[in-house]
Amino acid sequence: MKVTVRYFARYRSLVGKSEEELEVPDGITVGELVEILKERHPVLKNEVFAEEDDLADVNVSRNGRYVRFDEVLRDGDIVAIFPPVSGG
Amino acid sequence: MLSERELERYDRQIMIFGREGQEKLKNSKVAVVGVGGLGSPVAYYLAAAGIGTLLLIDEQEPELSNLNRQILHWEEDVGKNPKPLSAKWKLGRFNSDIKIETFVGRLTAGNIDDVLDGVDVIVDCLDNFATRFLLDDYAHRKRIPLVHGAVEGTFGQVTTVVPGLTKSLREVFGSVREKSGKLPIIGAAAGVVGSIQAMEVLKLLTGIGEPLTNRLLIIDLAYNTFDVVELR
Repeated sequence: MKVTVRYFARYRSLVGKSEEELEVPDGITVGELVEILKERHPVLKNEVFAEEDDLADVNVSRNGRYVRFDEVLRDGDIVAIFPPVSGG
Repeated sequence: MLSERELERYDRQIMIFGREGQEKLKNSKVAVVGVGGLGSPVAYYLAAAGIGTLLLIDEQEPELSNLNRQILHWEEDVGKNPKPLSAKWKLGRFNSDIKIETFVGRLTAGNIDDVLDGVDVIVDCLDNFATRFLLDDYAHRKRIPLVHGAVEGTFGQVTTVVPGLTKSLREVFGSVREKSGKLPIIGAAAGVVGSIQAMEVLKLLTGIGEPLTNRLLIIDLAYNTFDVVELR
């Protein structure tokens, strides 16, 4: 199935584009998609996402709605990943 | 009741809020927690709008490297005047019709009930999530709205937490990793995010428009993108 991934803020700068369409296995979860993105863009793995299986520092929306990592994706979904910022 | 002077001063916004709305602002108390990059524009615009009582909270004194964004603090304040007092000095001369209260110190679980007593809206202008969650817990316990903002580099985010109606900050950002060290930040980006937070406060208090409840605004000023994510 195909999903569109949109990158926000720091992720956009690191990946170098605002969005891309990806062919991914049917029925994967948000968490599994994040793993695919880390493989595809090592810069995310190295600089942004937490070490090991800790995915803490990523927020994800699916079709404009905030979702958890166990949510299952469908063909045609638009998935946005964005880093929470904390400065004031 | 609004004085003749207040009716003239706020004339252009009374066209939007009505006299009733302006009186609501005058009768309100808003806490600005953190008087730095976000707190400066938030406190400035809320003072301009005629919020009756502003409570400014911060524990630090300005540093020279703060001045690229913390526009309520000037060179003469660096290393000398704690941020709430530095801000009070300017805002008191800017609008002498409002009350400005200050708390110089760190908010803790032990003092938050005393410090925030009587506040109608809390504005989160902090730089760390540990204290944000303290505010979040307090807001839910007392059922007071909390306007969250955060900024980094050219990016920012804003959402408005209304207890009973929206998710808590802890539910949305519960697993955020605290970053340590210096974060990059451009003053104008803090100005944009802080101005949006100030608008949220005015909307909550007067009832105009729709606040960012159950929605997270994500801004990237490097590319001029403004996206809203549903948090329901």
